[in-house]
Amino acid sequence: MTTDTTTPAPAEAETTTTDASGAASPDGPAALSDRLADVWVELEERLDRVPILRALDEGTVTIDDYRRLLFNLRQQVVDGSPWISRAASNFDIDHFTLRAAAIKHAEEEHRDYLMLERDYVAIGGSLDELRAGRKNLGSEALSGYMFTYADRPNPVGLLGAMFIIEGLGAKRAAGWAARFQEVLGLADNQVHFMQYHQEADGAHTGDLEAILDSGIIDDAAADEIVRCAEVVARLYALQLEELDH
Amino acid sequence: MGTTASAYLTGFGRYLPGDPVDNDGIVARLGGDDPVTARIRGMILEQNGIRQRHYALDDDGEPTELNEELAVKALRAALDDRGIRPDDLRMLATATTIGDVLVPGFASMVHGRLGGGPMQLLSASGVCASSLQALDAAVSKVKLGEHPRVAVVGSELASRSLRQRRFDGIRAGMDSHFLRWMLSDGAGAVVVEFQPHPGRPSLRVDWVRHVSLAHEHDVCMRAGMDGIEPEIGRTWQDVRIGDAEASGMFVLRQDVSVLDDLAGAGLREFEQLVDIGLVDVSHLDHVVCHYSTNAFRDLAFDGLRKRIPTLDTDRWFSNLETCGNTGAASIFIALEEAWRTGRFAPGETILLAVPESGRFSFAFAHLTVVAPPDQQGAST
Repeated sequence: MTTDTTTPAPAEAETTTTDASGAASPDGPAALSDRLADVWVELEERLDRVPILRALDEGTVTIDDYRRLLFNLRQQVVDGSPWISRAASNFDIDHFTLRAAAIKHAEEEHRDYLMLERDYVAIGGSLDELRAGRKNLGSEALSGYMFTYADRPNPVGLLGAMFIIEGLGAKRAAGWAARFQEVLGLADNQVHFMQYHQEADGAHTGDLEAILDSGIIDDAAADEIVRCAEVVARLYALQLEELDH
Repeated sequence: MGTTASAYLTGFGRYLPGDPVDNDGIVARLGGDDPVTARIRGMILEQNGIRQRHYALDDDGEPTELNEELAVKALRAALDDRGIRPDDLRMLATATTIGDVLVPGFASMVHGRLGGGPMQLLSASGVCASSLQALDAAVSKVKLGEHPRVAVVGSELASRSLRQRRFDGIRAGMDSHFLRWMLSDGAGAVVVEFQPHPGRPSLRVDWVRHVSLAHEHDVCMRAGMDGIEPEIGRTWQDVRIGDAEASGMFVLRQDVSVLDDLAGAGLREFEQLVDIGLVDVSHLDHVVCHYSTNAFRDLAFDGLRKRIPTLDTDRWFSNLETCGNTGAASIFIALEEAWRTGRFAPGETILLAVPESGRFSFAFAHLTVVAPPDQQGAST
């Protein structure tokens, strides 16, 4: 598993893949995006069966459900920037592009949980209780996996994790926000976190696609990315299934 | 323009101090037993139609409570009615004509006595319409999604300034007698939330409107000034306190000759709400109107019926005759009783109307009765 870099790299840098013309396999990038699309489709099918999202879709969701969702998400969201930072620190100089992207991404996300906390308070929740909360079973598994994976040298597979998490933000969060607003009559001030992620994660998935399409991912890296996406998709859904557990 | 939340009234409370005082019991508290005063009092009581009221005064006319205590008792009643505690509030908006002290603001004193956690405060001052100004601020913050729960209270303790000692040796014409035998004490409170009550109907606040016409009207109801024009160096803060008292500056006065104009202006404001579509007269089920005397009830009722031919006395509510005119507290005290006695059913609409004579201002609010969420069916 290696990647090319766009920055001056030491001459001895390992470069089994090079540029677009010399990519590991001609259909490599396309195949990777197809494989990730399959993971995404499976995730969406699973999300359709998650009780709180089904209630949201059916319009039977309650303000307590929204409060619980924010409470549960918060406990994992506070770990988002730390695992990305840890991953950044484990990319060597040959993976400078990914290191740079991870550092930028971690910086952009590290205050996100404050937005979620403001939403929680704006719907009547107690900040003290929110901050004293613990992760649910799914969040424990997700967070544990991310930190463990981020500890590896050059954890390129985490691009698959980003594909899932940023994809949920870009493609689903704003829809959830709008539906919560519609069903529960909430103000924008009460759904900032989910609304914001449509824009922010839209930009992030754009960055991600650029990396995935850049030809710097070899076959082994692609396998890692797909596997990581599969695991994160399952654990993220588990986090939503295991609210309060 | 972003999306806003809705605001619902989910809890109602009131506090009327002491036992009700009938017309014969007034003199023991407020004094004024000379024949001339007695004759004027009889005439005014007949006009205003008030049969009983409450005073925070004992049988000898000595104060029994502070205004802030009345406010807190009404607030506690509203919180109990909703089943929440002061800790659950994020904002408190108060309205009163005259608080107990000059400084600090009334809301600070009420918050201090009520307890709870950190919260935003608003002290609306003015006269009768100030309670709907306070409600407007509360509703706006809830709709913006900035506060999930706010309490609003209107509270008055006018009686202490209606006692004989304020009137000894001063010229007291109809401008002071009219109020002296009309005003009394009490407090009314509501809880405003961004979600309806989970287990019973709530009143959704569709809008609140307040308009002042002070730009084209002189001062009508006043205290602390000599005449209706404030003069540099001649307000109660400028002259010796003894001189201010001797000249009757501490007596509440009202220019009764312009009250017909006030009623007319109020009706024009109501007409305008109809004309711009904020009030749909074919779907208006209840009117809760504040007025100072029954003489204005008939004026207002007839005026409204011009636009709402189907308006009958069943859909019109006031408890002036039994609770007295409690100024800024009146509208919430009336709303609480109308609510508690089951006048409202889901789907019905309510107009609150409060004219204020101070310098001609008017406040209105439009409410819709909504069923609890589990009886509304899923939205699609």
